[in-house]
Amino acid sequence: MNTNLKISNVTKIYPGCVANDNVSLEFNSGKIYALLGENGAGKSTLVKILSGVIIPDEGKIYLNENNLNLNSPSDAKKNDIGMVFQHFNLFETLSVFENLIIDSDEQRESLREKIDLIMKKYNFPIDLDIPVLNLSAGQKQKVEIIRCLIRNPKVLIMDEPTSVLTEQETSELFLSLKKFSEEGILIIYITHKLKEVMKLCDEVAVMRRGKLVSVSEIKNENIESLANKMVGQNLKTIKKKKAKTSSDQLIKITNLNFTSDDPFETNLMDINFSVNRGECLGIAGISGNGQSELFQVLSGEIISEKKSIEFNNNYIGDLNPQERREYLMAFSPEDRLEQAAIPQMKIFENVALNNFKSSNFFNNGLINENKIKEHSKKIISDFNVNTDNIELKSQFLSGGNLQKLIIGRELITSPDLLICFNPTWGLDVGAINYIHETLIKINDQNKSIILISTDTDELLKLSDKISVIHKGKLSKIMNAEEVTSEKLGILMGGAN
Amino acid sequence: MIIDINFVGLIIASIMASAVPLILASCGELITERSGVLNLGVEGMMIIGAISGFALMTVTGSLIVAVFGAMLAGVLISTIFAFLTQTLITNHVATGLALTIFGIGISAMIGKNFVGIPGKEFPVLFESLKDTIPLISPILFGHSIVFYFAFALPFITSYFLKKTKIGLIVRAVGDSPESASNQGINVRLVRYACILYGGAMSGLAGAYLSMIYTPQWIENMTGGRGWIALALVVFSTWNPIKILIGAMIFGGLTIIQFHMQAIGVRIPVQFLTALPYIVTIIVLVVISRDSRKIRLSTPSSLGKSFHKDN
Repeated sequence: MNTNLKISNVTKIYPGCVANDNVSLEFNSGKIYALLGENGAGKSTLVKILSGVIIPDEGKIYLNENNLNLNSPSDAKKNDIGMVFQHFNLFETLSVFENLIIDSDEQRESLREKIDLIMKKYNFPIDLDIPVLNLSAGQKQKVEIIRCLIRNPKVLIMDEPTSVLTEQETSELFLSLKKFSEEGILIIYITHKLKEVMKLCDEVAVMRRGKLVSVSEIKNENIESLANKMVGQNLKTIKKKKAKTSSDQLIKITNLNFTSDDPFETNLMDINFSVNRGECLGIAGISGNGQSELFQVLSGEIISEKKSIEFNNNYIGDLNPQERREYLMAFSPEDRLEQAAIPQMKIFENVALNNFKSSNFFNNGLINENKIKEHSKKIISDFNVNTDNIELKSQFLSGGNLQKLIIGRELITSPDLLICFNPTWGLDVGAINYIHETLIKINDQNKSIILISTDTDELLKLSDKISVIHKGKLSKIMNAEEVTSEKLGILMGGAN
Repeated sequence: MIIDINFVGLIIASIMASAVPLILASCGELITERSGVLNLGVEGMMIIGAISGFALMTVTGSLIVAVFGAMLAGVLISTIFAFLTQTLITNHVATGLALTIFGIGISAMIGKNFVGIPGKEFPVLFESLKDTIPLISPILFGHSIVFYFAFALPFITSYFLKKTKIGLIVRAVGDSPESASNQGINVRLVRYACILYGGAMSGLAGAYLSMIYTPQWIENMTGGRGWIALALVVFSTWNPIKILIGAMIFGGLTIIQFHMQAIGVRIPVQFLTALPYIVTIIVLVVISRDSRKIRLSTPSSLGKSFHKDN
């Protein structure tokens, strides 16, 4: 049976922002559709309208020519539209089965049989009786998918499904989605990752600033053409110039060990490396192999032995982050809203958190607001943060703008070394490009970078030297030109 | 000294009787908290229940009207809390504290005319069986209907939460109101219902105090039992069966320390009075220290306002 879903002239306006501007689209089953756009382009709003979470100001939705009235998520469910949200809608403390039965009208036994059938058919082995909080992100997503499949949906919407998945889990997901599509389920796939669109989808609709920009078949597109449509301008492809080989050593890590009391953390074993001035050292690895612990040890969140870290001919292993900053180190942690900035505080207040003795942000214990504001305005203009309101709470900045603000805050004092951890995670192409350009610029100024990242392409693009971390151990340090992504993949898996 | 075995039975029965208001109020508050709402107004709702029950009994002469009236009074006052916290999105803690202060004040005002009036005798069940088996009979028989209901309530509550669909929905709302809302569950409705139920149980607990346990009206007669009920919910890690254990320990030590004071044990009175509070908390902390289980039974959204934005 054929399914036809039509979005007709949908508009949704929020105060100060048109999230969807007269969007019309048509989908037919048997194909996988990509809805592509940067963060804030309006794609999430559009699919939330389809799933009844948001009610549009204008416009209509038709499923097989029937006009749907989607006033609540249950209306969408009744009309066979299933949605897997980017942030899981699961109840962590309830068991998997309880999560699935809660919105089902079926009897326990018959539902269990149905779930077993689905799990067998699509090869989703999940224990139904353990609490959801014990599942991995990939398993949680499978639970969400099962929840949709129980209702035999005609339409399945996936909102940025791979942002929390490993490569392996991603390819499993793609296989499942292709199978669903073959069985006649209409799949709408929301993403900003171009590679995934090329790999998975048949047709692509691009959105920008609330408007639909183009609808086309994948076979007529390539990564560059899609990127340009998404960003709305021709992207420069940036390339790193070969660094001048300098032998001026900036930081040296010797026999660094870290043993954690927390069984969920990774112990670091015998870490040794050094970085010269003007160099970028990339550290690759699958997330959870000790990157977070390594970052904390390097930044001083975890104190280590004094002599294990030598920076600019000083032993600084026992100093805290504030003290290390005085020696001209700078840090950009992985979690922008938890570690790098305080979401409820205003932009200029967040800027003041990174204060130096020399910055004079405080006079005799009083806040020197004018000084901080002046400094913040400089960061915002120098680093292209897209706002002019420094009184804005940081939580309202988009991921890209927040990252620019954080990197700007760290770099404006012109440190000798920047340590960053997944600096472009979850950002859109435009912001990623900007961050990459900035990092290359730092190297050109003969300053150094330690880049801990799970994105192999990013590492190959920016690093001079690369090492791989696996189960808390570093591989030998390799020259970036001699490394391929395949070789990194093998090392990341733990082979020698 | 020869200890009369029936005397022991009577002591145990009196311990159980003193645990009744704690069990009722705690089990009510447990449902409220499981839905993610922290209502610190238990003490206030209890005392409103106590004065309403006593006043209605004196005025109408009907015990049934009085008991249900007290529950209704608890529902009404908790409706204020529900309206403020769920509709006007006020802070749970501040609103709950205000509710307690309000309840104590208004009950004292209404209660002025009822001070010194003797209560009525509340009918007991199975009185004829009271002398059949030594030790056991005085424990099991000859109590009010509310007493039996209270001791069934933790098991009913546990069954409700674990085995019924509505119980599952209550837990889901307490775990993640956002997810529940996206699943099409009416979070506000569920929370209103849980708050009102908690109010009804607190009202009943108050009525038990003023109509059955000590049948008279004394200003401030709940004497902090509402706060103990709240503490029991937290220290039992939201487990109704552990509430029963906690309430029994607390009731037991309260009764025993009275007897010890009467006998003249040479321990400072202040220490004896404090004993039930300390021991109850220590015991509950010890039996609930499995951190995994705490994580699983703690309502993640407890005390956080939920505002549906769209």
